[in-house]
Amino acid sequence: MCRTIVEPSVGDMEPLPESVVSFQSVSKVYGHGGGAVRALDDLTVVVPRGGFTAVMGPSGSGKSTFMNLAAGLDDVTSGEVLVAGRPLHLMDDRARTVLRRTHVGFVFQSFNLVPTLDVRENVLLPFELAGRRLTAEERGWLDHLLEVLGLVDRVSHRPGELSGGQQQRVAIARALAPRPAVVLADEPTGNLDTRSSREVLGLLRTAAREYGQTIVMVSHDPVAASYADRVLVLADGRLVGDCGALSAQQIAELLIGFETGVA
Amino acid sequence: MNGRLVLGSRREVGTVGLVAGMCGFYASALMTAANLVTVDAESAGSHNAVGVVLSAVATVFIAVALYVAAVVIANGVDTVVAGRLRQIAVLRLLGADARSLRGAVVRVATSVALLGAVVGVLAGALVGDVVRSVLVARGNLHEGDYAWLPPLSVAAGLAITLVAAVAAWVGSRVVLGATPAQALLGASVPLPQTRRVGRLRRLATSGLIGVGGLLLLAAAGLGESGGPAGFLVAALGAMVSGTGILVGARLVVPALVALVSRFLGSDPASVVAARNAIREPGRTTRSTMGLVIGVTLLTTFAAGFAALRSAAHSWDLTPHQAVQTDQMLHYTSVVMICVVVVSSAIAAVGFVSTMSLAVIQRTREIGLLRALGFTAGQVRLMITKESTALSATAVTFGMALGLAYGALGAQSLVGFQTDGFVWGVPGEVLVGIAVCGVLLVLAASWVPSSRAVAVAPVEALRAPG
Repeated sequence: MCRTIVEPSVGDMEPLPESVVSFQSVSKVYGHGGGAVRALDDLTVVVPRGGFTAVMGPSGSGKSTFMNLAAGLDDVTSGEVLVAGRPLHLMDDRARTVLRRTHVGFVFQSFNLVPTLDVRENVLLPFELAGRRLTAEERGWLDHLLEVLGLVDRVSHRPGELSGGQQQRVAIARALAPRPAVVLADEPTGNLDTRSSREVLGLLRTAAREYGQTIVMVSHDPVAASYADRVLVLADGRLVGDCGALSAQQIAELLIGFETGVA
Repeated sequence: MNGRLVLGSRREVGTVGLVAGMCGFYASALMTAANLVTVDAESAGSHNAVGVVLSAVATVFIAVALYVAAVVIANGVDTVVAGRLRQIAVLRLLGADARSLRGAVVRVATSVALLGAVVGVLAGALVGDVVRSVLVARGNLHEGDYAWLPPLSVAAGLAITLVAAVAAWVGSRVVLGATPAQALLGASVPLPQTRRVGRLRRLATSGLIGVGGLLLLAAAGLGESGGPAGFLVAALGAMVSGTGILVGARLVVPALVALVSRFLGSDPASVVAARNAIREPGRTTRSTMGLVIGVTLLTTFAAGFAALRSAAHSWDLTPHQAVQTDQMLHYTSVVMICVVVVSSAIAAVGFVSTMSLAVIQRTREIGLLRALGFTAGQVRLMITKESTALSATAVTFGMALGLAYGALGAQSLVGFQTDGFVWGVPGEVLVGIAVCGVLLVLAASWVPSSRAVAVAPVEALRAPG
């Protein structure tokens, strides 16, 4: 069910052909000299196609850095980051931006939507940015998404007119609409009430199971992570646990175990 | 209550000081010039009314500059405060009451304006004194009892401070929109809904523009019969209709900007730019109208003199008289343009400052756009297009108004001497204004867009909302 990693064994971690996100010996250091902080320390992780992966860890464990690097929002200090088979660590800002708009979908904790655009425009933004028209098939997919997410009668509302849960559903629609290689979700339920949280997590799980969408979610909430079918645990910039689906209870115990050093 | 808590950094209140300073310098220089002409005429023994008329005219121009400054200051304060609603909400949570916070904003803005006005007035007087000393020494002016600092300059300085206080009061209305509860919300504080435009405003607008328009038409008719009545009626008509346009600007300017934005394109950067341009209609209107006033004044004088010059060609003059008249009109128009250009400069300073602050406040939003796939170039383009939409609207609107006012003014003055309607297009000045408009767009978007793309998307997303 769960394997605790002491020394990463490179043999196990060969990038699989269908790997969507692959970190090879990635380190990320902020600052210089005595004040330098090693946010990621020789991290090697592979996220294969399909499935819902939760990345967990206490504050300062490096999970936000992991997310930013996977999204190409930040530069690695050393190592290799491959997303959809492309070497992010070798790309310049522009190339990474283009990769992001074509292969990566985002759901953030807050401030997810462009406030001046209405719901439909926000969802269509990735297509607009890629400068392409929707095919009939994509149009059908979009209508289906809006239907499933309960946004059909909200399409001409601005984000300011929606509740937090509704805004997050719009963000999910936008992330899923272009069928990106991976959807990165950064604490997507951090600002939501319990009911909206369950709803959003259920939607992410459905997207993974029924549409085969690869999803990587960073969270510190065991309940949120219990919706995933794989749980990775980071501590001090290293991968310390790699587990299958767990209950919230088991995840909480696992985390406490890592924090107190029992595991 | 420390106003700095609300108004923030020196850069943010700097615009208030700069604008007050420009106004002070301008007022002081004009008043010194008026004093110079009056005393010179008295010393020569002649007693003509030129000095008095000049003081009156200078007062009108100073009042216009003050109005533009008030618009700029109100906008600056509104923009700064709107960007600090979170912090204001925290202060409210800790026990500050909204009215004393607003009072603190007004006090800071007023004291900065006072400082700027004093420096400006003294600098203007100093420059005036140096120029006068040179002219007296060279014998161009008579020896006389000139004022080092005309009392009217001091009055102007006080007026600037007072106007700044009122403008800051108007601009700080948003402070009242921040409630303590908003400090506890994770999300950014939504802007309070702007007031609905009242029926009174609509009525006042159409009434003033209607009456002003009729007066202008009457003036054009009176011009055919000669006499001074025509020009006075035209001036009155321009003032009345101009007031109508200022009162009603809120009704039409956002729509005009939206119309101009359509020409920007339909790519995502242009769409977001167009939305941002009219995001806060009040701010959009003030930012645009400051420039409109400046451009209208410039175009009115330029077009008026162009019309007079073209009319003069049809007059029965000897070749020598024709050349003299043309030169006289040309020089007078240059002097007038130099005098009125200051209002445009004040509006331009306000435009650049508002644009920069608005972009800084959107740091998180720009981070989101970058994360979603906007390239740095697209972000730059977006900011440039937003300022283009605003500036192009102002320049076009101002030019159209100015051409109409200028032609009507000239017609009311010399219509009786000339066949048909008197009008003229000051090509050089219009080109000059257009070039300045482009420069303004670049100045207003270059610095903020460079700053915006220099921030890594990760940091931008983490910026305080």
